[in-house]
Amino acid sequence: MMQFLIKRLIGLLFIVLGVTFITFMLGYFAPSDPIKEMMGEHFDYQTWQQLRHVYGFDLPWYQQYFNFLTRLARFDLGTSFHPQQRAVWDIIKDGVPISVELAFWGTIVTLLLGVPVGIWSALKANTWVDTLNMSAALTLYALPVFILAVFVQILILWLNNAGISWPVIGWGTPWQYSWSDIQYKLAPILTYGAAGYAYYARLTRTTLLEVLRQDYIRTARAKGLRERVVIYRHALRNAIIPLITVIGLLLGLLVTGSFFIETIFGIPGVARITVNSVFERNYPVIQATTILIAIGVVLGNLIADVLYLLVDPRIKTE
Amino acid sequence: MDTSDKEPEVVAKDTSNANAGIIPAPDFLDLQDIPATSESILQTQTDRKARKSLSPFQESMLRFRRDTRAMISVGALIFLVLLASGGPPIYKHIGGTYQSDFGTPIGPAIYHSYDYQQLSSQNQGPSAQYWLGTDNLGRDLLARLMQGLLISIIVALLVEIVDVVVGVLVGVLAGYYGGWTDTILARFTDLIFAFPGLLFAILLTGIFGQSASDYFGSLPVVGPFLANGNGPLVIVSLALALVSWPLMARYVRGQTLQLKQQQFIEAARSAGTSDVRIILRHIIPNIFSIVFIASTLNIAGTIIGESGLSLLGLGVRPPGSSLGLMIADGADTLEIHPWNVLLPTIVLTIIVLAISFIGDGLRDAFDPHTKD
Repeated sequence: MMQFLIKRLIGLLFIVLGVTFITFMLGYFAPSDPIKEMMGEHFDYQTWQQLRHVYGFDLPWYQQYFNFLTRLARFDLGTSFHPQQRAVWDIIKDGVPISVELAFWGTIVTLLLGVPVGIWSALKANTWVDTLNMSAALTLYALPVFILAVFVQILILWLNNAGISWPVIGWGTPWQYSWSDIQYKLAPILTYGAAGYAYYARLTRTTLLEVLRQDYIRTARAKGLRERVVIYRHALRNAIIPLITVIGLLLGLLVTGSFFIETIFGIPGVARITVNSVFERNYPVIQATTILIAIGVVLGNLIADVLYLLVDPRIKTE
Repeated sequence: MDTSDKEPEVVAKDTSNANAGIIPAPDFLDLQDIPATSESILQTQTDRKARKSLSPFQESMLRFRRDTRAMISVGALIFLVLLASGGPPIYKHIGGTYQSDFGTPIGPAIYHSYDYQQLSSQNQGPSAQYWLGTDNLGRDLLARLMQGLLISIIVALLVEIVDVVVGVLVGVLAGYYGGWTDTILARFTDLIFAFPGLLFAILLTGIFGQSASDYFGSLPVVGPFLANGNGPLVIVSLALALVSWPLMARYVRGQTLQLKQQQFIEAARSAGTSDVRIILRHIIPNIFSIVFIASTLNIAGTIIGESGLSLLGLGVRPPGSSLGLMIADGADTLEIHPWNVLLPTIVLTIIVLAISFIGDGLRDAFDPHTKD
C-alpha cells in the first residue's frame, strides 16, 4: 500500500508541475504588458525597465519559470500587480476559507442527500417514487449550475414579494452559523450541491440495483436474513466502491460550480477573486489561485485513492 | 421484505401498460431490471423476425425512434436550429416603420437587429414592434435571442469538429499502436482531468480574449462576423476544444483496444491487410456509435461552457449577443424585470435538456445490452 501511495504521490507531483507550467506559460505569452498598464499615463522607459527588473521580467523564460517554482516551494505566491506590491497571499487569504466552506457543504449535500435518495430510489425501483426522483436528478444534472442559480434567485425574489425577507446575494461570516448566516448560505449551498447530488443519486441507484442482482444477494435472502441486513450489510457495502471512484468528477463539478455560484450569489471566494483578477489582468493572482485550485483537486483525488484502498482490499498494489 | 414482495407486481403492471399503447415511464437504467413477461418475450421474437434484414445501425435508429422523450427533444432542437439560422433574415423584414430616438423613421431591418439600441423603449413587454419585448438598453430581445442561439450552435459545431477529428485520430492511434502515443495521451488526460476544463478556459479567454477581439475583427473574410464583440469566441472555441478532446480520445482508445483483440481484425491482419486499411475499414466504423453518443453529450457541455464563459464576461462581449451574456445583462435588474433573464434561461434550459435527452436516448438505443 505504501508503494502504491508513493507512486501516486509522484504522479500527482508531476501533474502539479504540469499545471504550474501551463499557468506560467499563459502568463508569459500574455499579449498585454502589465507593467506598461500599471504605469499608465506616467510611462517612461527608465522606470519601465527598472520595474521589469524588479518583477524579474527581463530574464529568459526558463529562469523566470525556475524562480517561479522556487518561490512556490517556499510558499511565496509572489507580488500582485493591482494593487501594486501587495503580496498575492494577502489578496487571496480571505477568500480561501469561504471557498473551502462552500466546497465542504457542497460535498455534504452531494453525499448526505444524494446517496440516501439513490438508495431509496433503488429500493423502490420502477415505482412513482423512483421515477420522480430520477426525473428530478436527471434535470438537475443536465442543467448548468448558473441556470439553477438564476432560477433559485428568481424564486427567492418571488418569495420576498410574497412577504418573507430573505437575502438574495452575499455570504455572511465564514464558518459561523447564526440564523442570518444560515439565511445567506442556504440557497448558494443547495444550488452548489445540486449537480453533485443528482449525479450521486443516479449512480447510487444504478450500482445498488446492479449489486442486488448478484448471486450472493440471492444467497443472503435464501438464508432468511432480514431485508435490512441484506441491503445495508451485503449490498450497500459493495455498491459504495464505484461511488468513491467518481470523487474526481465530483471535484470537477465543485470547481466549475464555484465560479458561477460565487459570481451569481456575490460570494467573495477564491473563484470570484480569480475572475476579478482576469479582468484586471493581475497574472500573479490568477496563477496563484489556479495552482491552489489544482492542488485542491489533486489532493481530493489522492484522498479518493486512499479511501478506495481502504474500502476495497482486493486492490492492493497495482 | 415488503419491497421485494411488491416489486414484481408493479413491474408487471408497467409492462402491461406499455403493451396497451400507453407511454411507459422514462427509465434511466437499461431495461434489464424489468423482468420480461411472456407476452413481451413473444413480442420481441416476432419483432426480430420482422426486421431480420436490418443492419445494426438501422435497428438502433428504430429503437431510438420509439423513444418518445428523445423524439420530442429532436423536434425542439430542430425548431431552435431553424429559428437561429432562418429567423433573423425573416424577422428583419417583418414590421412597419417606427420613429427612432432621433425622430427619423426606421424600418424593421434596423430595429429588429440584435445590436440596435432604442433607449426610449427600455424593458418593454411584447409589442408589435418588439415581439418578445426589449432589454434594459432597449434592444430587441427576440433578435438577441436568435443571435445568441446562432452563436451557441456555431461554437458547438466548431468545437465538435475538432473534438471528433482529434479525439478519434489520437484515440485510434493510441489504442492501435500503443507505445509513446498512448503514454502521452494518458499523461495529457490526467493533466486535463486534474485541471478543471472551465478553469483552463477561463485562463485562456481571460488572458487572450481582449487582443483576440482586436485581432480577429480586422481579418479580411471572417472579420465582419467576428467584429461585434465576437472575437473572443475563437479563443472560447479553442479552449473548449482543447479540454474536450482528451475524453473522446480516451473513449475511442478503450473501444479500439477491445476491437483489436477481436478475431475479425486478426483475420484481416493475417490476410495481409495494411494497418491504415484496418483502421479505416474495420475499426473506425465500429467505434461510430460511441463517438456519436459522446459527441452528442459533449455538445451540451460546449453550449453550457460558451454561455457560462459569456456570463462571466469572458466570451462574447457587447454589442454581440449570447445566451450567457443576455443572462448577465439582465442580472442587474432581475428584481424589476425578471423576464430579461428568464427568457434566455428558459431557452438555454430547453436546448441543454433536449440534447441531454437525445444523448440518453442514443445511448439506450445503441447499447447492445438493451437489445433483448
